[in-house]
Amino acid sequence: METIDQTIDTSIPSQTMEDPPDQRSNTAVQVLTLTGIGGLLSACGGGDESAAKLMLTEVPKEVQTSPLPKSTPMHTKAVATGRVPTADELFAWAERILPALFGGSPITQSSGGLRFRAYGNGTYLGVNGTDVLGLGPFTQGQVLRLGSLADFPDAAIPITPLTDNEAAQFLQQAQFSSLPGEIAALKSLGRAAWLEREMSAPRSQTAVDWMVSKGYEAINANSRYYNEYSIGERALWNRLLLAPDQVRQRCALALSEFFCSSKDGIDGHPWLRNFGTADYWDQLCTHAFGSFRALLEVVTLHPLIGVNLNTKGNQKEDGLGRVPDENYAREVMQLFSIGLYQLNNDGSVKRDANGKKLETYTNVDVVQLARVFTGYDLDFRDLTSTLTPGDLGIRWPDRRMSTRPMFLEERKHSVLEKSFLGTTIPAGTPGAESLRLALDTLFNHPNVGPFLGRQMIQRLVTSNPSPAYVARVAAAFNDNGIGVRGDLKAMFRAVLLDDEARSAAAGPTFGRLREPMVRFVQWGRTFASETVRNSWKVEGMEDGQNRIGQCPLRAPSVFNFYRPGYVPPSTRTGAAGLTAPEFQIVNETTASSYVNCMEEFIRNGLVTSTSDDLYTTGAFVEPIFKRILADYSNEMSLVNDSAALVNHLNLVLCGGKLTDATRSAISRALAAVQWNAQELQWYPAVTTLAQKKVHLAVFMVMVSVDYLVQK
Amino acid sequence: MTLFSNSSLSRRALLTRMGQLGMTGVALPTALNLAAWGEAAAFNASDYKALVCVFLYGGNDAFNTVIPFDTASYGQLSAIRAGNDPTASIMPLQSELTATQLIPATARADGLQFALHPRMSGLTQLFNQGKAAVMFNVGPLVVPTTRAQFNAQSIPLPPKLFSHNDQQSIWQAESPEGATVGWGGRMGDLALSSNGLSQFTCISAAGNAVFLNGMNAAQYQISPNGAVPIWSHKQMNFGSSDVRDAIRQVLTGAHAGSMESDYLNVVARSVEYEGTITSALETASITTPFPGSNRLADQLKIVARLIKARGTLGAKRQVFFTSLGGFDFHDNQKARQPALLQQLSEAVTAFYQATVEMGIADKVTTFTASEFGRTLTLNYGGSDHGWGGHHFMVGGAIRGASFVGTPPPLSAGDTSDPNDQWHVGRGRLLPSTSLTQFAATLATWFGVSASELPGLLPNSGNFGGGAYPMNLGFLPS
Repeated sequence: METIDQTIDTSIPSQTMEDPPDQRSNTAVQVLTLTGIGGLLSACGGGDESAAKLMLTEVPKEVQTSPLPKSTPMHTKAVATGRVPTADELFAWAERILPALFGGSPITQSSGGLRFRAYGNGTYLGVNGTDVLGLGPFTQGQVLRLGSLADFPDAAIPITPLTDNEAAQFLQQAQFSSLPGEIAALKSLGRAAWLEREMSAPRSQTAVDWMVSKGYEAINANSRYYNEYSIGERALWNRLLLAPDQVRQRCALALSEFFCSSKDGIDGHPWLRNFGTADYWDQLCTHAFGSFRALLEVVTLHPLIGVNLNTKGNQKEDGLGRVPDENYAREVMQLFSIGLYQLNNDGSVKRDANGKKLETYTNVDVVQLARVFTGYDLDFRDLTSTLTPGDLGIRWPDRRMSTRPMFLEERKHSVLEKSFLGTTIPAGTPGAESLRLALDTLFNHPNVGPFLGRQMIQRLVTSNPSPAYVARVAAAFNDNGIGVRGDLKAMFRAVLLDDEARSAAAGPTFGRLREPMVRFVQWGRTFASETVRNSWKVEGMEDGQNRIGQCPLRAPSVFNFYRPGYVPPSTRTGAAGLTAPEFQIVNETTASSYVNCMEEFIRNGLVTSTSDDLYTTGAFVEPIFKRILADYSNEMSLVNDSAALVNHLNLVLCGGKLTDATRSAISRALAAVQWNAQELQWYPAVTTLAQKKVHLAVFMVMVSVDYLVQK
Repeated sequence: MTLFSNSSLSRRALLTRMGQLGMTGVALPTALNLAAWGEAAAFNASDYKALVCVFLYGGNDAFNTVIPFDTASYGQLSAIRAGNDPTASIMPLQSELTATQLIPATARADGLQFALHPRMSGLTQLFNQGKAAVMFNVGPLVVPTTRAQFNAQSIPLPPKLFSHNDQQSIWQAESPEGATVGWGGRMGDLALSSNGLSQFTCISAAGNAVFLNGMNAAQYQISPNGAVPIWSHKQMNFGSSDVRDAIRQVLTGAHAGSMESDYLNVVARSVEYEGTITSALETASITTPFPGSNRLADQLKIVARLIKARGTLGAKRQVFFTSLGGFDFHDNQKARQPALLQQLSEAVTAFYQATVEMGIADKVTTFTASEFGRTLTLNYGGSDHGWGGHHFMVGGAIRGASFVGTPPPLSAGDTSDPNDQWHVGRGRLLPSTSLTQFAATLATWFGVSASELPGLLPNSGNFGGGAYPMNLGFLPS
C-alpha cells in the first residue's frame, strides 16, 4: 500500500481536498502570519490563551465573504426563535453546518470576555461580547469579525433529542447495526457530531493485513491457501462483520457499487482474486472519506480494475491495425465518473431544443481517451514467484503484484494527440502527464457531483431522491464548504444528514429495498459474537438459488448487481414512474432463497468446511463441518414477554417500522410455537422451545417487507 | 394496435381474465396487480410453439465464431486480425476448420465458404443436417443505414451504440437501458389467453431480462433446479400450521407501500407457482444427456423439462430466456472464447436433441442474441465493442443448412471502397439486416400477425421490402 500512497501523493491534481486552493495560494506574507501565531502560541506556553489575546488585541476586520451563513437555514427547516444564541450555541451550530471547517467539537475556552473554541490547523471561532470572530486559514490568517451573535438566530434553535427509533433509522443508513449501545451514543451526540466522530475514527485493520494475520499468504504444502478461491471474499465479509470503523465500511460498500469490480473480470485470475480483491476493498475504505480525484486514480491503476477492464496490457497502436483497447476509456466515463447524459446539478438530464437528451461523449471521445490508458501492466518488476509445492506445480506470483498500482511502460504508451471532452492532450505528452490531465478532466466535469451523489443516496437512503436533495449532495461534492471539490466525506455527510434522509420528513415514496448483503451483515453484527464472527468463513453468498444472492465486489459485471435507473416492470413502483434498483435481483427464485437462507442462518448458524481443516497436518483430511451459531442471549432474556421481544427486534432491526399487521402475525406465531422433536434432525442446535421462539421472531422480522424496505 | 393499449381493457374482460387465472390460494395483494394480467389478443392456438432466446452476454466475437473458410477470405481475415504477428492471432488455423465446415443445402453462388469455430462440432452437424441456419451481420437499426449516413449522422441511429448495457436492452426491447417492455414479453402478452396457466407464458432461467417483460405478461423466473420452495412455509418448519399461516401472512400479505407491495407480489407468486411447477416437473424427465459443468446447458435442460410439462401447465405458446456470459474478450480471447463457444454448441445441440426426444423439434425454435459483435481489428489479444454480428437459429422448423442475409466484406479500411461501406471503423459491422427483421421473422412463426408487429417492434414500420424484408424466410410463416 505504500506504493499506492506515494503514487497518489505525487499525482494528485492541483485542486484536491488535501490541498485546498486558499492554502495553496499562500503568499509569503500569509505564511509568516500563520507562523507568527504559532510562534507566539509556543512562546507563551499556553497556546489557546495566547490565541485569545491575539484575537482581543487585533482590531477585527469585517469579513466580506464569511463561510458562516447568517440566518440561512442550511438543511434545517429553521423556525427563527427571535432569540440571540449564546456563544456555545453558536459554536455547536457552526460545527453542525460546517464540520469540514469546525470539526471535532472541542471544549469552549475563555479568556476575559472572549469565549472561543480551537479546531486545530490554526482555526478558531470566538465570541467577544456580541462579536463573532474567526481566525484560521479560512480568514487568510487574520482575525475577522464574522458578524454579531444576533445575525445567527438559527443557532438558537434547540435540537430536538432523537428518539430511539430515529436513532436506529439513522444508524441503519450510516452503518449496518443499531445496537442499544450505539443508539445511546448517537442520542447523546446528535447525528452530526456522532457522524463526525465515526468518520474520523481510526482506520481499522485492512483486509490484506487480516489475510496475512490468518496465514493466507503462505505458499506451502500445509495450507494450500493460495489455491483457494474465496479467501478474498472471507476477508471482505470479516471486515464488514467485524471492523470497528463501521461507517467507513458502509460507505466503502456503497462506493464498491459505483467503482464496480466484477467477478466476471477476475475469476480467470486466481492469483489476483484474493489479495487483489482485499486490497481493492482496502483502497475504497482508505479513500471513502478522502478525495474522489485520488480514488479515481487508485481505481484506474488498480490491478483488479486493470484486469477487469483491460488497462493491464493495453498497448498503443502499432500502425498495422492493432489499436488501443477502449474498454476502460468507455467505462470510466459511463460508470466511474460522468455517465451517459449531461446532467444539471440536481441530477436531471439536460436536453436540446427538441427535447433530446444531450450526451456527454461520443465514440470519438472513447477512441481518443483510450490512448491515455495505454502502456500499463502489472508491476512485477522486482518481484519473484514461488513454485507451488505438490501436484499443482506452478509458479505463483508474489502477492504484491495484485496490490501494487500498475506501472507505466512509456514505450508502449500512445503518444498521439488525445482529444476528448473538450480537452486536448498534445501529441508527445508522456503517459503520467496524460493520465493526470485525463483524470483531471473527468474529475472536473460538472456531471460527477450529481452522477455520483444520486447513486450514493440510492445506496444509503432512498431510491428516488428529490432533485433538490441530489442538488444539495452535488453541491457538497462540488464544494465542501471551504472551496474544495471532490471531498467524499463532505458528500457522504450531505447524503446522511439531509432532512430528506429522514422518513418522517420525506414523502410516501421514500425508502429503498435493503440489499441482501446489507441484511446479512446487519444480522451478523446484531446477533453474532465477535469471536464467532472473526472465524467466519463466509463464501458463495452470490448464489441466488441457495444463498442470499449477493457478495461484495462479486457483481456479475461492471454494471453492478443492478442499475440506478432500474424500473421493475408490472409493479406499482413502475406504474408510478419510480426506480427501485435493488428489485433487479428480486425474483421468484432469489426471494425464496433469501427466506430459506435466513431461516438456516438464524436457526442453524453457518456451516463451513474449508482447508483450514483440510491440510493442517500436511496431508488431506476429511473436512470438519463446523456449525457457527449466533448468540441470542439478549433476546432470550425477553422470550417470556413476546411484546417486549418484538419491540426490541423492531428497534434494532428496522428502527420501529414494523406495522401492526406484522407485529400481530409475529405474536400469533410466537403463541403457537410447539415443540417438535423431529426438528432436531434439521436444527440440532435448537434444543428448547424458548430458542425456537427467539429464532422465529428474528426470522419473521427479517423476512417481513417492513424490514426489507428500509425507510 | 389497440391490442397493446391498457385503455382497451374492458372491465368484463378483466373479470373474465381473473376467473381464468383462478385467483385462489395466495391472494395477490393489490388491485393493480390483477389489472396487470389484462386481456390481450388471443392466438387461439391449438398447437404448441416455443421460442427460446440464448443471450450471449458480453458481445460475442462473431468473426471468430462463423469463420470465413475459403482460402481467399481466410487470408483476408487473417491479414487484418493477425497483423504482423501471427503468434498473437486469436484465430484457429485454416486447417483446424475442416471438420466444422458448414455445407449449405444450396452451394453459394459467390463461392464463399464458412466454418464454425473448431469447438462447435454440435452446431456444425445441426447446420449440415438442415436443423440450423446462420444469420449474417444482424444488429439494431432504426432505419436502413449506410456508412455515409452513419458518418453524417443524417438519419436516426440506435442510441448508445457500443455500450454493453444499452445494447443488451436494445436487443431485448428495441430501447436502451430503462426499457420496461421487451419483444419476448410482448409476444407473451398475445399468448396469455392461449395458455391455461398464463403465468408460465414467459419464463427466464437466467434471471431478470427485459426481453420477457410484457405490458401484461410478467416473467416467471426459474432456477436450473426448478422452482425454489420456501421451506418454512411448505414443510411447516416451525411445527404448527398456525405458525405457518402467520409466516404466510408476513410473506405474502397486503401492504400500503408500493415497494412493499411489489415485493410481496414476487414472494406470493413464488409461493403460489412453486407447487404447480414442482409437481409438474416431477414427471417431466428428459433422457437426452446434457453436458455437465455448463451453465447454459443447465438452463436449457430446465427449459426442456418445462416444455415436457406443457400439458400439465396448460401451455400453448411460451417464450423462454437463457444466457451465457463472459464474451467480452478484450484480451485473452484465444485462451477463453473457445470454451464458451463449445459450451454454447454443446448446450444448444443437447437441447435440440431433447426436443426431438419429445417429438416437438419443429415446434421449438432457439436463437442466439448478443449485445453486439466486435471489431474486426484487434486490441492486444482480443477485440473491442462492435455493432452487427452473426447469429444462429436452431430447430426442426428452421429452413436449415442455409445462410441468411449478406456476409460482410472483410475490411477495416476507412475509404470509399465498396468493401469499406459495411463497417463504421475498425471493422465494427454496420448491420445489413436489422434486429427488427430478425425478430419479426421469429415472431411471425410464433403466430404474431403483421398488424401486431409494430406493438412488438417499434421500428418495424421502417423496414420491409427490397434489401430489408420483414420476413427473412428462415422459418415458415
